[in-house]
Amino acid sequence: MTEVAIRTQKLSRRFGNLTAVDGMDLQVTAGQFFGFLGPNGAGKSTTIKMLTGLLVPTSGSTELLGLDFAAHPVEVKRQIGVVPEGMGLLERLTGSEYLHFVGRMYGLDRATTQRRASELLDFMQLADRPKALIADYSHGMQKKLALAAAVIHGPRILFLDEPFEGVDALAAGALKALLGRMTERGTTIFLTSHVLEIVERLCSHVAIIHKGRLVAQGSLEELRAGISGEAGSKTTLEEVFLSVVGQDGAERPHLEELSWLT
Amino acid sequence: MADVAASVGILTQIRLVAGLRWRVLRNGLRKKSNRFDLIGLIFVGAMSALFVFGLCFAFFAGAYNFLSEGRYGWLSLLFWAIFVFWQLFPLFVAGFGAGFEFRTLLRFPLNLTSFYIISLAYGLADFSALASVCWLVSMILGVAAAKPAVLPAMPLVVTLFLLLNVTLERLVGSWLERLLSRRRTRELFFALFILSMVSLNLIEPVMRRYGPILRPLAQRIVPYFSWFPPSLAGRAIASAAQAHLGGAVLGCAGLLLYAAVFSIFLWVRFAKQYCGEELSETSAPTAAAPRTVANVDEAPDHLSALSPQVAAILRKEFRYLTRNSFSFFTLIVPPIMVLVFSGMFTGKHPSSEHPVSPEMLFPGIMAYLVLILMAPAYNCFAFEGRGIQTYFMTPVRFREVFLGKNLMLLSVLAVEMVLSLAMLAWRLGLPSLPVFVATLTAIVFAVIGQLTLANWSSLNFPRKLEFGRMRGQRQSGMAVLIAFGAQFVFGGVSAVILFGGRLMENHWLPAEAFTLLAAAAVGGYFASLDALSRVAEKKKEVLIEALCR
Repeated sequence: MTEVAIRTQKLSRRFGNLTAVDGMDLQVTAGQFFGFLGPNGAGKSTTIKMLTGLLVPTSGSTELLGLDFAAHPVEVKRQIGVVPEGMGLLERLTGSEYLHFVGRMYGLDRATTQRRASELLDFMQLADRPKALIADYSHGMQKKLALAAAVIHGPRILFLDEPFEGVDALAAGALKALLGRMTERGTTIFLTSHVLEIVERLCSHVAIIHKGRLVAQGSLEELRAGISGEAGSKTTLEEVFLSVVGQDGAERPHLEELSWLT
Repeated sequence: MADVAASVGILTQIRLVAGLRWRVLRNGLRKKSNRFDLIGLIFVGAMSALFVFGLCFAFFAGAYNFLSEGRYGWLSLLFWAIFVFWQLFPLFVAGFGAGFEFRTLLRFPLNLTSFYIISLAYGLADFSALASVCWLVSMILGVAAAKPAVLPAMPLVVTLFLLLNVTLERLVGSWLERLLSRRRTRELFFALFILSMVSLNLIEPVMRRYGPILRPLAQRIVPYFSWFPPSLAGRAIASAAQAHLGGAVLGCAGLLLYAAVFSIFLWVRFAKQYCGEELSETSAPTAAAPRTVANVDEAPDHLSALSPQVAAILRKEFRYLTRNSFSFFTLIVPPIMVLVFSGMFTGKHPSSEHPVSPEMLFPGIMAYLVLILMAPAYNCFAFEGRGIQTYFMTPVRFREVFLGKNLMLLSVLAVEMVLSLAMLAWRLGLPSLPVFVATLTAIVFAVIGQLTLANWSSLNFPRKLEFGRMRGQRQSGMAVLIAFGAQFVFGGVSAVILFGGRLMENHWLPAEAFTLLAAAAVGGYFASLDALSRVAEKKKEVLIEALCR
C-alpha cells in the first residue's frame, strides 16, 4: 500500500469575509514531486503556510506522514523542510552561521551540522563570501540559502514556495538535480511555481487551485487526458492550466480596451 | 510610439511631488494600527507650532531690539541661530533611516534643471526650512518696525541667506544619502551619534574644570567666524542700518558667492545622480577565498550544558547584539553614566556639598541598569524580521526560544552590573553587606519577574524594528506601556521594602524579603514558559504578520 505523505480534509482558511482556501481535500503520495499551481491570489501560499504550521486553519485538518499536524506539531516539523514565501532568513547572520543555527534547531549535533552546512554552502556556491551577512546577499543567493536550510536535516517532505524565483539558470539546474535526487530517494516535494514549464519538467503530479478551491488534481497524464479526452495527449500544462482556470471570459481583460497601446 | 502630448511644467511637477507625499502620509494612516499615529501627529504638530511661533516672537523681538538700540553686531547671532538649526536638524533626523527616496523621481522624464529645481523646492518643505523661513520673516518684521530704512536691504539679504541655506542643506543631505547608503557607514554614524549624546553629559564638568583655559582660545577663534554666511548676513544688515552701502554690498556679495559655490557643488552632485549613480548595500563580489573548515570535535563547546536549541538561540542572540549598533552602543551607555553619576556624587567634587553614600547610590544605579536594559525585552522579537518564521518552521517549542533570549539578556545584565559595580567600587567604594545582598536579590526579583511579563508582551504586541535605525522606528506602544507599568510596580515594591528595612532598622530584612520574592519570581517564570509556548502558537499569525512586513 502506498504511503500518503500529505492529506488535508476540508481544509479552509478565512480572513474576515475573504475565504482564501475553501474546503480543500488534497492527497499527495510519498515520494511524489508534486506541483501546486494557481493564478495570483488563488490561495497557494495560504495552503502551503497551513501545511507547514505557519498559519492556523479556520477549519479542517492536515495530516503529514500519518501525523495530525495540530496534535503533533513538533514531531511533524522534525520531518519536513520549508522554503516559505519571503524565505524567513535571519538576515544579520552569515550564511554559514544561519545553517548552523537551523541545524542545531533541528537537533543535529555540532559535527553533523558543521559538515552538512559546509557541503551545502559549497554545493549552492555560497562559500565564496563566508563573512558576508545574509542581508548583503543577492535575492538568488538568499533563495539558495533558504533551500539549503530547508534540507540540512534531511526532511521527508520538502515544501517549496516559488523556489526558482530569482535563481540564475546555472543554480536552477543544480537545484533541479538536487531535488530530482531527493525524490528518487523517497523525499516528497511539494512545490508552487508560476513557471509552468518548470512544473511540467519536474513534477509527476499536479494540483490546481482557483479562488481557494481545488479544481484539478492528478498526474500530468491524467490532467492532459482530462482536457484532450485521450491518453498520451501532447497537450501542454499551460493549456491544461488555462483550460481549468482561464476559460472564464469575464475574468480576462479585452485587449480591445487598450487599443491606444497598440 | 508613445503619444505624450507635451512635457509637464516644473510647477506641475512640484505639485505632483507634494501630492505624492500627502497621499503616502494619508494612506499610511488608513491601517487601524496606524490611526493612533494621527493623534501623535496632531500632538507633535501642535508642539512644533508652539516651538516655531514662540521663537518667531523671540526673533522679532531680537531684531527689533538690536536695531533700535544700535547693537548691530548682535544681529549676526540671530542668523547664526537659524543657520545652525537649519543645517543640523536635518542631519539628526536623516542619519537614522531612509526618508522619501527623492531619486526615484528620476524614472520620469525630468531634465537635470527640473530635477535640481524640484529638489530645492522640496528642501523648502522640510520642517527646519519652514521654521527658519518663519523666523526670517519675523526678523524682517522686527527690522521694519525698528528701522524702516533697512527694509529694502533685508528681503535681499534674507533671500540670499535662504538660498544658500537650502542649497547647503540639500548638498549635505545628498552627500549624507550617499554615505549612509552603506550599512557600515550608517551604523558608524549612529554610533557616533550615541557617543556624542553621551558626551553631552561631560560638557558641564569639562567646562567647569577647563573653562578658564578654553575661554582665551575661544576668543581667538571667534573673529574667524565673521567670514561665515550668518556673520556676513548680519554684517550686511548692520551696514545697511548705518547707511554704509559698501559694507552691505560686500555682505550680499559674500552671501551670493557662498550660494553660487554651494549651487555648483550641488549641481555636480545631482548630475551624478541624474546619470544613474548606484547607491547599493551590496559590495562588489570578492575573489573566492580558500575555505578552512574547523574541526568541531576539537573545538570546545562552551554551551554544552544547554540543549542544542537554546544554545543555538543564545549564539544567534549574541551575534545579533554585536551586529546591531543601536543595541550594542546602548550597552556602553550605562557604565559611562555610572562613571558620570559617581563623578557627580563622590564628594570630592567642589559642587557636591552632600556626597551620596554607596548605600544609596548602589541600589539606585542597579535600578537604573535594570530600567535601561529591560526595556527591549518587552518587544524581544523586534529585530527578527522574516526570520521569525524559522522559529515556527523548526521543531522547537517557544519555551526554548524564550530561554535562549532571556539567558542572553541575563548575561548582558550580569556583565553590565559587574562593570558598573567595578566603577562604583573604584569611585565610591562598596556598600555594606546587607545592602549589597538586598540589592542583588531585588534585582533577581525585578528582572525575573519582569521577564515573564516581557515575554508575554513580546508575543502579544510585536513590532518590527530595523537594525541601526532610529528614524521611523516606533516601539510597540502597548509594549512600552506594559514595560512602564511593570517597572513602576517592581520598582515601587523594591523601594518600599528597602525603605521598610531602614525604617525598622533591620538591615537584613530587605534581603530576606527580596530572597522570598526572587524565589517566587523564578518559580513563576519557569511555570509560565509552557503557557507562553501555547500563547505563541495562538499568536503566531500576529507575530509573522507584524515582523515580516
